[in-house]
Amino acid sequence: MGRDVSESCIDSLLTEMVSTYCNRFYANKPELAARRIEAIGYQVGHQLSERYTMERPRFSDHLEAIKFICKDFWFELFKKQIDNLKTNHRGTFVLQDNRFRWLTRMSIDQSPENGTSEELSIMADNKTMQSMHLYFPCGIIRGALSNLGIPCAVSADISNLPACSFVIRIKA
Amino acid sequence: MTSTACFIIVSRNDIPIYEAEVGSAAKREDAAQLHQFVLHAALDIVQDLAWTTSAMFLKAIDRFNDLVVSVYVTAGHTRFMLLHDSRNEDGIKSFFQEVHELYIKILLNPLYLPGSRITSSHFDTKVRALARKYL
Repeated sequence: MGRDVSESCIDSLLTEMVSTYCNRFYANKPELAARRIEAIGYQVGHQLSERYTMERPRFSDHLEAIKFICKDFWFELFKKQIDNLKTNHRGTFVLQDNRFRWLTRMSIDQSPENGTSEELSIMADNKTMQSMHLYFPCGIIRGALSNLGIPCAVSADISNLPACSFVIRIKA
Repeated sequence: MTSTACFIIVSRNDIPIYEAEVGSAAKREDAAQLHQFVLHAALDIVQDLAWTTSAMFLKAIDRFNDLVVSVYVTAGHTRFMLLHDSRNEDGIKSFFQEVHELYIKILLNPLYLPGSRITSSHFDTKVRALARKYL
């Protein structure tokens, strides 16, 4: 089980999915588009976690499951592991990927010297579009953890591209 | 050599999503209900046992007369339970592993709602064939 897929195919598919949901299906309702994209990610994460945990023993606690996400799961998806894992030991984990594969083709906007209001609003739009692309991987992580029995909320932070941080908050 | 065997898959929400009598003995109406009852009663034991070990195959966990219940738990806490009278542990383990692969293929179907009943006749045919092969 498992065959190779062209990476450019995946990149194009994801870009087109975000663009279609944002510009055609839910044109003026970005929150609905975001929820839809996250739900797709949830189902994909659910399926992938079941598939990748088949060969290995089950997990004894939350930290084991999060480590699985950081190492094996991320490696299967992106051919690399998470670079940095931080936790406050009270249910919050921060996963940092210094070069997130799906964002490597995204341009990094340089902030203007003296931002006119027009340029600033364009930059805000760009930030929204960039954050739209993160709902899918957040959904994947949430789906994978939910399947392993850990209900959680996942958000992403791209203050410095191409590095990307995912914040997982486990629901008590 | 006739053998009785009853196989069910229970989802993480404790709802049976697949049931099949896979033994080669003739099917009797009251026996089928009894088998289901014994398997459901064994669920409590599985629940306790699942936390003590990180293995997937839990071997024989309960007995009823001369029938034995064996269980295999996946990472997503889906339980494959088999009520049987044979003692072929390796065969049963291989059976569970093959059914696990089939179950993942069902899950990968985007039109399948996780936790709902498995209605695919293809899955049913394959499980029965595996049962004939390994049990």
